[in-house]
Amino acid sequence: MKLITLTTVLFLFAFQAEAQRYITKTGRITFFSDGPLEKIEAVNNGVNSALDSQSGMFVFKVLMKSFVFEKALMQEHFNENYVESDKYPLATFKGKVKNIKDIDFTKPGIYDAEVEGDLTIHGKTNHVATTGTFTIEGSDVLGKSLFTIKLADYNIKIPSIVEGKIAEEILITTTIDLKPLKK
Amino acid sequence: MKKILLIVVIIALAGGLYGWFFVYNKPHTNFENSKPDFKLSAQQLFNDFSGGKGESYNGKVIEINGTAQKADISDTLVTLVFVFNEGMFGDEGIRCLFIPKFYNRLKAITYPAPVTLKGFCAGYNDTDVILEHCSLIKN
Repeated sequence: MKLITLTTVLFLFAFQAEAQRYITKTGRITFFSDGPLEKIEAVNNGVNSALDSQSGMFVFKVLMKSFVFEKALMQEHFNENYVESDKYPLATFKGKVKNIKDIDFTKPGIYDAEVEGDLTIHGKTNHVATTGTFTIEGSDVLGKSLFTIKLADYNIKIPSIVEGKIAEEILITTTIDLKPLKK
Repeated sequence: MKKILLIVVIIALAGGLYGWFFVYNKPHTNFENSKPDFKLSAQQLFNDFSGGKGESYNGKVIEINGTAQKADISDTLVTLVFVFNEGMFGDEGIRCLFIPKFYNRLKAITYPAPVTLKGFCAGYNDTDVILEHCSLIKN
């Protein structure tokens, strides 16, 4: 009898532990800036993200060269002159969902999320905080957030020839469809 | 005098048009026609990146061969996946995002399958090497 109880407990524990981590490798990040000279828009559909539903640990890994622009010239300038993607290929966010206990991953619905952590772009790290939502749909967790960053905070310099004509703040939208990690 | 002015205007216009069409609006690179900068096995590419020696592949066109374990197929896109490790994001290896014209050919393959392909290396995100705009060379 004891053995059955122990086996049941271990089984339940193992099941719960497996269901704790949600991941995606096809998350979407877009950025948009609206300056007097040029509107700049780009999209990256290969974002890695992981969320731990117990601890609230939340991670993003974004390859800068995966951002696609409408114009090839803009994409070239973005990689070579702004984010220097040869030198700094990866942007990361490592933080947590502060109110993770308010989110019931077993109950469908839209939950507000408070996220904070360290954002590293162009080799420079800043502590950031933002809000977003998690939508629970079956076993999937759809995360959405919208926030702005200042280029200067990440040592991204606007060339003097276009200074004042390109926006100094960038609007970032993230959409991630997280699925439970199967082992 | 008028003649010189006209020539100057025509040259300026031609320069402007050239800039507009061939610089400002230049097309994206067609990676299917690009010659690979490196040719190596999929395993070697992953080992180099995960061992911290993959920097020279960033932004280059790479041809790889090896056994693709699976294909992630969406409505319009196919991503071939080479798996070499397990980590916090599940499978770790090489993810190859193909240009749409190979959709049907890749869908018809039974995986795991040996393949040779080439694509643009976007880098390593600590779990996977990402190749984009891939084209199939041999299967």
